[in-house]
Amino acid sequence: MLLDFDRLGWLRYALCLVAVLVGLFLLLPILLIVALSFGSSQWLQFPPPAWTLKWYGQLFADPEWLTSFFVSLRIALTVMVLSTVIGLMASFGLTRGRFPGRELVRALFLTPMVLPVVVLAVALYALFLRIQLNGTFIGFVIAHLVVALPFAIISICNALERFDIAIEDAAIICGASPLEAKLRVTIPSIRLGVFGAAIFSFLASWDEVVIAIFMASPDLQTLPVRIFSTLRQDLSPVIAAVSSILVGFTAVLMLLAAFLRKDKPS
Amino acid sequence: MTTTPFLSIRGVAKRYGAVAAVEDVSLDIAEGEFVTFLGPSGSGKSTTLYVIAGFQGPSVGDVLLRGSSLLRVPSNKRNIGMVFQRYTLFPHLSIADNIAFPLKVRRRSKAEIDARVQAMLRLVRLERYAERMPAQLSGGQQQRVALARALAYDPPLLLMDEPLSALDKKLKEEIQFEIKRIHNETGVTILYVTHDQEEALRLSDRVALFNNGRIEQVGSGRDLYDAPATHFVAGFIGNSNFLPAKVASASGAAFEAVLPDGSRLPGLTGARLAGASLAGAGLKAGDDVAIMVRPERLTITRGDDMAAGLVPATVTATTFLGDVVHVLTRTSWGGEVSIRLPCDGFRGEPPQTADKVRLGWPAGAARIYSAP
Ligand SMILES: Nc1ncnc2c1ncn2[C@@H]1O[C@H](COP(=O)(O)OP(=O)(O)OP(=O)(O)O)[C@@H](O)[C@H]1O
Ligand SMILES: [Mg+2]
Repeated sequence: MLLDFDRLGWLRYALCLVAVLVGLFLLLPILLIVALSFGSSQWLQFPPPAWTLKWYGQLFADPEWLTSFFVSLRIALTVMVLSTVIGLMASFGLTRGRFPGRELVRALFLTPMVLPVVVLAVALYALFLRIQLNGTFIGFVIAHLVVALPFAIISICNALERFDIAIEDAAIICGASPLEAKLRVTIPSIRLGVFGAAIFSFLASWDEVVIAIFMASPDLQTLPVRIFSTLRQDLSPVIAAVSSILVGFTAVLMLLAAFLRKDKPS
Repeated sequence: MTTTPFLSIRGVAKRYGAVAAVEDVSLDIAEGEFVTFLGPSGSGKSTTLYVIAGFQGPSVGDVLLRGSSLLRVPSNKRNIGMVFQRYTLFPHLSIADNIAFPLKVRRRSKAEIDARVQAMLRLVRLERYAERMPAQLSGGQQQRVALARALAYDPPLLLMDEPLSALDKKLKEEIQFEIKRIHNETGVTILYVTHDQEEALRLSDRVALFNNGRIEQVGSGRDLYDAPATHFVAGFIGNSNFLPAKVASASGAAFEAVLPDGSRLPGLTGARLAGASLAGAGLKAGDDVAIMVRPERLTITRGDDMAAGLVPATVTATTFLGDVVHVLTRTSWGGEVSIRLPCDGFRGEPPQTADKVRLGWPAGAARIYSAP
C-alpha cells in the first residue's frame, strides 16, 4: 500500500502524536468531569484539593435523580426493544423487497439522522400537543424511536445484505416455514448486526437531550433533561457525578459494541 | 405405459418479463435414477431445479411427484433435499446441529435425532467433526455436511445445483466418488446440475443437455456422444469437426453432399443420419448442411493411398501425446480439422507439417445436420 504505516519513517511518530492529541482533545473534557465528580471542592476547583465520594452520596440520597435515572432507563430500554424489532422488519423489507419506490422509503427511514434535531423536536412537539402525548411515556418513546430507528436500520440492513439468502432457502427446503427459517437461521446468523442495532438504539435515546427537553414534563424528566435544568439553577458537583454515571453507561455499551465487532467470525 | 413416473416435469417454462429463463422443459425421471442437467451458463438448469424445489413458480407447466402436482405445496412441505452451489451451512450451528436442523423442525424425538445425526456423519465420513463450526471446515467438507443435512430426513428426491463447482479438481473427483457411493447406498433419486460434462458423464445414468431454456437431448452419456441429436449436442459433448457442405442430391434416405472445395461425399445414408427425423428430414438438393466427424474417427491417407481419402487438406501441426498423435489440418477453404490418431494408426512416419494429405472416415462415422 502507498501509505504503509511501517514505511513512513519519522512520519510515524508525527502521526502517533497527532492521534494522541486529537484523542486527548476529545476525551479531556469527559475525563475532567469524571475527576471533578470525585473532587471535594464545592466550586468545581481543579485540581481538586481532596478526593471524596460525597457527591455520589448526595446523588443517591436524592430521589429525584434516581427517578430520572429510571425514567431514562425505562424509555431507553423500551426504545431499544421497539427499534430493534421494527428495524428488523423494515430491514427485511428494504433488502429483500422488490417494490417501486424502495429507495425512497429507505431514504425516508434515514432522514431523522440528517434532519436538524431541533426541527424534529419542534415538529414532534407541535404534533404531540395536538394528540396530547406531550410529557407522556409513550410520547417520549415514539419521539426517541424516530431518532433511534435509522441506527437500527443501518446496522441490520448491513448485516442482512452480507447474509447469503441461499442459506435461508436451505433452511426452508429443510422443512422450516419462511418465518421459522428467519427466526432460527437468518436472525441468529446476523445477530451481531442486531446487537449493534440494540446498543445504538439504546444510546440514541439514553443521551438524547434536545427532543427530551421538548417532551419532558415536571414529573417525567430523563437524566439529561434533569442535568440540563439543574445546571441552570446551580453548578453543583452532583451534576458531575450524574454525568460520570451517564458517561460510564455509554462507555460500557460502546465497549460491548466494539467487542462484538472484533469477535465477528470471518 | 401406464405406470406413473416418479418425477414428471411437464412443459415447464419460466419467464422474467420478456426474458425466458426456461422455454419448455419436459422430462420423466424414474425412482432411484441419477439424472444430470448439463448445459452452458444461462441455459436454464438452475431455474428448472428451483421450480422443482418451489423457490420459483413456473410461468406454465407442472411438476408431479408420484403423480401429484407439487405446485401447490410450499417448498418447506415438499420434503425434497437440496445441496446448493454456494456454501449454505447455518453459520451459527455446529456440524451436528446443522444436520439435526431438518429433524428438529420435524419435531422428531431427541433419541431419533441423535441416532440419525450419527448415521449421517458416518455416511459422509465426518464423524470427528460433529462439534466443529462450519467456518472451521474446508469447502469440500462443508459440501459433504450439506449433503448429510439434505439426506438426514430421508427425502425421496435430492436436488444438487453445481455443488462442487467451487472445489479444485482432485477434491471434486473425491466427492463425486462419495456422491456416487451415497447414491448407491441410499437409492435416493438425484437431479444434479453441472456445466462440467466430465462430471455429468461420470455420475449420471442419464444426462439432459440444456440449451437456451430447452432440453436438446436426453440419454446416457454414450447416447449423447455417439448419436447427438442436434448440431448443438454434437458440438457440446466431446470434440467434433464440422465441415460445411451443400446437399447435391437427395433420394430417399441417401444423400450426396459437396464440400466448398468441390469434393463429393457420396453415400451419406439415412440410417446413420444424425437425428434423421430432426435434421435429416426434408433435406433437399441445395440445402446447407454441416457434416460432423469426431476427431478419433477421421483417418489420414498420404502418397499412394491418397485416392482412398475424401477431403484434401494440409497438415499445420502435429502433437505427440503419448498414446495418440494429434494432427491439425487446414482444408483448401480454410476450415480447421483436428484428428486424433492412435500411435499405431498410420504407416511410417507421422504426418509432418505442410504434408498434403486426404482425410477420410469409415462408412457411418459422419453425421449430418442442417447448418445452424
Ligand atoms: N430473477 C431473474 N430475473 C431475470 N432473469 C433471470 C432471473 N433468474 C435467471 N434469469 C435468467 O435466466 C437464464 C437462465 O438462468 P439459470 O440460472 O437457470 O441458468 P443456469 O443454466 O443455471 O446457468 P449457470 O450454469 O450459469 O448456473 C439466464 O439467462 C438468467 O440471466
Ligand atoms: Mg445455475
